[in-house]
Parts: sequence; C-alpha cells; structure tokens
Amino acid sequence: MKEAKQMMIIFFTSIILFVFSGLAQILFKEKYKAIIFTLFSGLATVLGLIPTTIALFQNKTFFNTVNFNGLIGNVDFVLDPLSAFFVLVILVISFLAIIYSRKYLEPYNKKLSAHYFFLGLFIPAMILVVTVQNILFFLICWEIMSLSSFFLLLFDSEKKEVRQTAINYLITMQIGVLFLFIGFILLNLNTGSLDFASFQGHISNTIFIFLLAGFGIKAGFVPFHTWLPKAHPIAPSHISAVMSGVMIKTGIYGILRMLTFIESPSLLLSYLVLFIGVASAFFGILYAITQRDYKRMLAYSSIENIGLITISLGFAMLGSSYHNHLMAGLGFLGVFAHILNHSIFKPLLFLSAGSVLSKTHTADSEHLGGLIKTMPYTASLFLIGSLAISALPPFNGFISEFFIYLAMLNGISTDNHFLFPILIISIGVLAFVGAMVLIAFTNMFSSIFLGKSRSEKALKTEQGSPISDSALGMLIPIGILAVFSLLIGLFPQYFMQIVINSVNTFLTTPLNFPTQILSNISMFNLALLITIGVILLVRKLLLKNKTVTIHKTWACGYDKPNSKMQYSNYSFSRPFLGFLTPFFIRELDFKGIKELFPKATHFKSKTIDIFEYYLIRPIINFDKFIIQKFYWVQSGNVQKYLLYGLIFLLLVIIWVVRK
Amino acid sequence: MMRFLLLLILPFLFTGLINKTKALVSGRKGASVFQPYFDFIKLLKKGIVISETTSFIFQIAPSINLACMILAGLLLCVFHFEGDFILFAYVLALGKFFTVIGAMDTGSSFEGMGASREVSYTSLVEPAFFIIISSICAIGHVYSFDSLFKILSFNHMTWVLIVILSVVALFLMILVEGSRTPVDDPTTHLELTMIHEVMVLDNSGVDLGFIFYANALKMLIFTTLIASILTPHSLWGYMVVLFIIAVLIGIIESITARLRLTHIIEYTFILITLALMVMALALLTMYETGAKGRKYDYFSNLPCATSPSFSVAKARRLPVAVHLLTSETDTTAKLGKAVFSSYAGVSSGGMI
Repeated sequence: MKEAKQMMIIFFTSIILFVFSGLAQILFKEKYKAIIFTLFSGLATVLGLIPTTIALFQNKTFFNTVNFNGLIGNVDFVLDPLSAFFVLVILVISFLAIIYSRKYLEPYNKKLSAHYFFLGLFIPAMILVVTVQNILFFLICWEIMSLSSFFLLLFDSEKKEVRQTAINYLITMQIGVLFLFIGFILLNLNTGSLDFASFQGHISNTIFIFLLAGFGIKAGFVPFHTWLPKAHPIAPSHISAVMSGVMIKTGIYGILRMLTFIESPSLLLSYLVLFIGVASAFFGILYAITQRDYKRMLAYSSIENIGLITISLGFAMLGSSYHNHLMAGLGFLGVFAHILNHSIFKPLLFLSAGSVLSKTHTADSEHLGGLIKTMPYTASLFLIGSLAISALPPFNGFISEFFIYLAMLNGISTDNHFLFPILIISIGVLAFVGAMVLIAFTNMFSSIFLGKSRSEKALKTEQGSPISDSALGMLIPIGILAVFSLLIGLFPQYFMQIVINSVNTFLTTPLNFPTQILSNISMFNLALLITIGVILLVRKLLLKNKTVTIHKTWACGYDKPNSKMQYSNYSFSRPFLGFLTPFFIRELDFKGIKELFPKATHFKSKTIDIFEYYLIRPIINFDKFIIQKFYWVQSGNVQKYLLYGLIFLLLVIIWVVRK
Repeated sequence: MMRFLLLLILPFLFTGLINKTKALVSGRKGASVFQPYFDFIKLLKKGIVISETTSFIFQIAPSINLACMILAGLLLCVFHFEGDFILFAYVLALGKFFTVIGAMDTGSSFEGMGASREVSYTSLVEPAFFIIISSICAIGHVYSFDSLFKILSFNHMTWVLIVILSVVALFLMILVEGSRTPVDDPTTHLELTMIHEVMVLDNSGVDLGFIFYANALKMLIFTTLIASILTPHSLWGYMVVLFIIAVLIGIIESITARLRLTHIIEYTFILITLALMVMALALLTMYETGAKGRKYDYFSNLPCATSPSFSVAKARRLPVAVHLLTSETDTTAKLGKAVFSSYAGVSSGGMI
C-alpha cells in the first residue's frame, strides 16, 4: 500500500514535470528552448518510467484516489498492466520524438514557445487518458489531448491549408467526443456513477457501439479515418510520429478498457469489430498505394495497422465469445504486440521521412529519387522501417502478425462451422493486405531513395547546397527505434514478455506464453542473418581479383535515358491498382497525345477516397445546406448582436421568474 | 534432411529438365540436362558490371534473395514448429522485397516495369497459399508443415479432392512465382512483355548466378511442397514427382503462349478460386466429422446433420462435390479461352 502511494507520487510528479517543462522553456532564449524542454521532459520520462515498468513487469496495480471537492468528487487513477503498457509506449516514443524535434525544428527559425508548451500538455494528457478511471475527468483529458494536438498541428499556421486541415481535425475529434458523450451518458443512466469501476456488466451492445464509434474516430477506423491522411502531411514530422505511433492508440486503449468491463462480448460485437478491422486494413493499405505524398501514404498505412490491431481484437473477442481461451489469449497477444511494434516502426518511418522532408522540402515522392547516395543513413533507416512494417523477418512486425495468424489458426481448428469460413476469408484478406503493404513500401522506398533524382529538389537544398544526410541529433532517435525493431524481431521470446501481463488482465486463466515457438522464430531469424552474411562473404571472395566495371544502366540499346524515363510512383502501382478500380476513384486530367508531332501535354491524376466522396462529403453538404439557412444570424452588425444578448437575458429572466 | 540437401543440389537439374523437355517437344536435341550447372559455374567465375546509378542495395539484393530461398527450403524440409508455414510465406516475401528494390535501384524503366508487374501478379499467391494451408490445418488440427503432410490421406472422397485441388493450385503457384509460361516467358530477355527476366537486366556475373539459382530454388521449393503432399516419406517418390512436374512445365511451355498482360490477373484469380474450393471442401469434411458425434455443433439442429443414417447425409453431400468439380472445369474452360485470346493477341501484335 505504501509502495503504491510512493509510486503514484512519482507518477504525478512526472506528469507535473511535463507541464512544467512546457512552461519553463518559455522563460529561456529561443536558442535554449529545445534543450531545456528536452532536459526536463527527459527527467519526467525517467520518473514516469519507474512506476510504469514496475507495474508492467511485476504485474502490480497502483491505485490512487484524488478527492476533487464539489462537482467531480473522487477521481481514481490506476496504473495496472493495461494502463502501464500504454504509458510506457507514450513515454518512450514521445521522448525520442522530443530529442528529434530539436534538430528538426532548427531550420524553421520560428518561435518555439507555443509548440513546446502544447507538447508539454499533449504528452501528460495522453498519459492521463490511459490512467484515469472517471468519465468526466477522462473526457476532460481527452479534450486536452485533442486540443493540444490541434495546436501542435498548427505549427506552420501561416499556410492556409494547414489552418483548414487543423480545423477539420478539430471538428472530427469533436464529433468523436459527441459519440463518447452519448455512450457515457447512457452508461451513467444505467449505473448512476461516474466511476469506471461501476461499469462492470453494464455495457450493453448499443453503448459499446457508441463508444466504439467515438474511440474509432480517434483510432482511425474506416470510415472515420478521413482526418488522418489530411492531418499528417501538415504536421511537423515528430508530431506525426507521436500522433500516429501513440495518440491513435488511445482510441484502442478506450475500447480495450471498456472490454475489461464485459464478461464475454456478444457475437454481434465480435464480428462487428472483426469486420471493421478487415475493412480498415484493406482500405487503409489500398489508399496508401495510391498516394504519392509519402507522409499521407504513411498516414494511410497507420489506418491499415490499426486495422490489423482491430482484426486481432476481433479474433480475441470471438475467442471469448465462443469460450475459446487460447484463441482469445493469442488474439490479445496480437493486439498488444502489434500496438508495441507499430509504435516502434511507424515513428521510425515518420521520423526518417521527416529527415528527407527537412532536406528536400517536398513530400511528393515523384520529385525525389536517388537520395540513398546523398542520405545513406536515412535511407537505411527507412528501409528497416519498411521491412518491419511489411512484417518481414527478421524485424519486429513479423512477430505480431505471427500472433494474429496463430489466433486465427486456433480459431479455425475448433470445428465451428460458422466461424471457419469467416476466419479463413479474413486470413485471406490479411495475406492480401500483406502483399499490398509490400507493394506500397517497395514503391515508396524506391521512388524516394533509389534510381536517379527526378527533379532539382532531390539534388539541392533550398539554399542551393548539395543534399547531405541529416544531423546526428535526428538520426540517433531513429537509430534507437531501428535497433529495437531488429532486437524484438531477433529475440521475441524475451521482448514479448513486455505485453504478457497486459494480455493476462483480459483472461481468466493466464495465457500459456508460446515461448517455444518464439525461440524457434528467434533461431530462424538468426540463421537468416547468418546465411545472408555467409552468402555476402562468398560473393566477396568470388569477386576478389575480378574486374568490377562501372557502367551506365542498360537501357536496351538506347543511349540517352534520362531520369524522367524511370518508373515513377504512379506507374509502379498502376498495374496493381488496375485490378482494384471499384474501390477508389481516380480523376485523370490528360488530353492524350494526338498529333504526329505532339505538343507539350500534361498529365494529372487525383485519387479520391470513396468514403470521403460517398459518406463524408454528403454529410458536410447537408450540414452546409442547413447552416446556410442561418447565415443571417451572423450579420456582423453590432446592434444585432446586442439584441441577441438582450433576448437571451430576457429568456433567462423569464425562465427564472417562472420557477 | 536428405530432402533439404537434394533441394539445394537439384534446382539446376530441374531447370535443365524443363529445357530438355522443351527442346525435345520442339524437335531439337537440346542441351544436356546439366547445362544450367555449367552456366552457373561460369557465371561465378566472371567479373561483374555495375550500373553507376545503383547503390549498395543492388549489390546485396541477389544474395539476400538467395539466403531467403535457402531458409525457406530449410523451413519446408527440416525446421518444423507451429506456424512455420507463416514464416515460410514471409521469408519468400522478404526475397521478393529485395529483388524488387534491387531492380528499382538501377533507375531503368525496363526494370521498374518488371518490378511493378512482379509485385502485382504475385499479390494473389500469398492469400491463396494461406487459405489452402490453413484449411487443411483446420481439418487436422495441426499447425506445422510436417504434421500437415502426415494427416493428408487418400482414403476419402473429399480428401482426394482436397489433395487434387491443392496440388493444382500449388502447381499454378510454381508457374506464377517461378515466372514461367503462361504468366511470364523465361526464354526472351529483351521484351517489354517480360516480368521476371527484365528485373535482372542489369545483374551480371556472381549476382546473376545467384539470381538464377534462387529462382530455380523457388520453383523447386514449391515442387517439394507438392511432392511432400503426395509422397511425404519416400525419397524416390520425391524424385519422381520432381521429374513429372519438370516435364509438365516443359510441355506447358511448349504448347501454350504467354498470356496477354491484361489476362494474367484473371489467371491468378484461378488460384483464389481453387483455394476457396479447398476451403469449402474442408468445411464439408468438418461438417461430416461433426455430424457423427459432436454435441455442440452449429448445424446440429439441421435435419440433415442429425439424421441417424450417415449414408443419407453423405448422399446429400455428394452433389456438392460434383458441383465443385464442374465449377473447376469451368475455370479451366476460362483458362483455355484466355490462352486462346492470347494467341489472338500475338497475331494482332497486341502482346504489349
């Protein structure tokens, strides 16, 4: 008990320190702001890690009740393995992003106070979201998280599109909160309490679906995903990394926390979650392939990964619906393992993409190419991230996908005839999604880093100096993530112990951890690395004393190939996307080549998200239609506004008097 | 273990056999079946030419691809554990990843074209593979290659069908993954229609040798998978299956033309169709065993399943199997049509 109190004190100190570091840097000169913020938040991270790791690894639950007199009353904060897992991810990834931000923001030459201030609010808000156990306080923290991330998005606020997109983000988040409000109000009507603890057994299907929608908007489930591909291209890269690597997982946390209050989810919910997962994974990666803006593509890929997490969650829920404990256990293992892995390789990709962006100042991969020669470290790190996200051994992405497949295999061998075809087909989709991830990332990696540069932007910075690799201050945080990515892939039997206690909070009997299988995978991955090493060595020996000629790329006899003749991002994905035309809309603006001696022509293509086109746009148009009818209210006439005030006061007086 | 050693030694004999068959069918004498070995050794002795556009990726890609193929063979023949076929599929994907970025590294429009087509046309192989293997796994409650080969048997109608369909699907996978006719044409090098060969246009010397080896190995791995399904124990059986498949590929290459590019995807959809049929048959088998004695059964309230006479239930099920067979011939007919239209494509010069 005493230990719990101490731990919670350390925990709260860490949170306060984060806010404090956001405030403290305001007092310093522009030059020192980043360093001060990094130092203080580093201290906060270390402090925060103490109770978190103890709770997570020793399977302990630290509990503290804070008494806010008056309206809210007692608020519980809890650091159980479930919360601690998320806190751990938030702390580590945010801190790496903060280290990265110092060098990344340097060339912008801007006032950083506001940015770091809101970052100092954003991180503790996320931490509080995953620890607080009270509806009202949860919603407050949730709103602080949304608002502070809104301000973080506004870093380049002088650009019009940035402001527009940020507003779009804010509105989408408010719609999400609306769903949460409905869900929580219904819950409150049932239980009469604001405490999460009282929810046990009170979450009906309707309530769960409302909460699922609310949390799903934050997580980026299809069809609520449209804010993600808009927000990420405008956000500074380290913010993208935190938002995509960590913040969207708070939505998953919400769903998981609600699941702890449900004994065994109804079949309807389980199949619904599985269906959402399959749809998110498929459409997320499909749209990722269509993108040429690499940050937007990474955003879509986040939707796909959230989809994979949700597929696994669907398997887990089906497992507990059908009382198949092993399937449920493996499903939850897949959920947590993929959250962990995605929060490693997605920031890795976003940060290395940021490294490219900070040198070339373009997010359009069609203007890049050949950067591997000028930025070899960034390229290698991006390659590691691409391999990991494509779930290829020996990197970490494979481990979590492996769990998802294991959960499925366990589910299909229970001879349930209804479950069987659904699982098999979802696994078919999962494998297809895997092939699509490979297309998306080979495409993006090649068009950014390989071949010849397609424009001046890939050769010179805006100042005119040749492009060189990013500063160490940016590469080191990315490198740490890459090392983790490889280590988890090589030694999953040790690293996956991180999630085992969190998984067990959902199970009545602890999961039999598949150590044997994982050590087999570990052995295999080591063997793979060794074989690659041996073959490379053999190659080197064979090439000893042999002539190595450097020559132009063979263009089948054509002597003057130029960089524009390379396969571009668009042309690479074109044959594949040809098969999937019903699932997206592509607007082409191309007159064609007509005359014998054709004049200059242009080609423009734009991919439209069908969900945005058929679902979101009609809603917005309807909204606009309604709101247009009320334009006269806001006339800009001061007298009129005073009249409104007067009418309002009159109404209030009448209402009071009537009582 | 023996199979693994054979797997490492025999790939070039396999391609040699294919080439010999093609030669014999077209009335030539043809090179010796060991010719690919001599080519390989010669390539290893040569120096290399590297494009000035390329980076280290281009140089490591063939070696990594080869390592992946060897380790995939290891998984198939020696190293078994629960879920090994998942790792198997992903190791093959790792090889593909590096082949593709190795091709893209040259900045050549031809190689980009090949890479783009390769990833597009093989994208349906993985789902089909997973559906087939997991369906078989589901019936036998097993999760690894070795136990999977053990449970396959020929003592029941549905089992025979499952085995036939799986073998046909795996054979088509050899053609798709090994870039053989009718998906790709391995004989011409500098055609715009190429898929795999054009990806390795800039590789030479050792690297090209590794690529040839890896590609032959990949075909042999899928052949080994077929052989393990048909004859899991006998080494001679393995050699016979290997011989038959090599000859079969040779004959197919002699009598069919490459498909038009737009038809290739229809062709790979046959894989998915076959895989779904295997799934349906697996469901049928589960249903059969379930009807006999399981209490908690989803279909237990259906009259058919609770019927005391097993033969009645079986009689009702038989037409389904027949129907499945006919629908397979449908797809074969479609394939024939596609092949025919590709001939038409050749004559009208519409190959590209």
